[in-house]
Amino acid sequence: MNDHHGVGQEAEEHRHRERYRPLALGGLVGLVAYAWWATSLRPFTWPSVVVVLATGVAAIAAGRLVPPRPAPPLPRPAGVAVWAGLAAALAAWELAAWLRHPRADNPTLSSLANDLLDWHPLRAAAFLAWVVATAALARR
Amino acid sequence: MTRTTILAGYAVIAAAAVLVQLVALRSGRLPTLAGAVRAVTRWPPVRWALVAGWLWLGWHVFARADL
Repeated sequence: MNDHHGVGQEAEEHRHRERYRPLALGGLVGLVAYAWWATSLRPFTWPSVVVVLATGVAAIAAGRLVPPRPAPPLPRPAGVAVWAGLAAALAAWELAAWLRHPRADNPTLSSLANDLLDWHPLRAAAFLAWVVATAALARR
Repeated sequence: MTRTTILAGYAVIAAAAVLVQLVALRSGRLPTLAGAVRAVTRWPPVRWALVAGWLWLGWHVFARADL
């Protein structure tokens, strides 16, 4: 049996995507440019604090605006516990490093990230990823 | 502990995380990282605590101002 409704719906969805593709691309370019600018601000200054926090709040708001997704089936607690164990191990290892000095010989994740994120393109990419993850975390 | 030991520790934890993610993606016997996060963030207090922690992380990494 021919499902003409299905074919028509697919075509409509395709037209819808094509119509909004330039807008989506423009939004992406804008976000990348914003991330580049935001990470060009000097750290340890109020402009950088304000921009980062305001961006975080905006990302939370954007995440809340997205329609809630249907709740997936709950994984088994043992499976979640594996990830919790890894997170706890990371936190413990980080704490052990943080409590020791000098920092050069006892690197924390922050100190390692500092070296990597000195390169502006990587810093901007990391900022963009942080913004997207913030919105995703805040989403219902 | 030496610098090498500490870096090795981070590498072991990262490798374990990658392994768990691969097992989750291939066999489905474990949740992926996203699945685990989604599971614990069902509860609003946990979700908002994670969001607050994530905001702090952004401030720490990208602004690092002394307030």
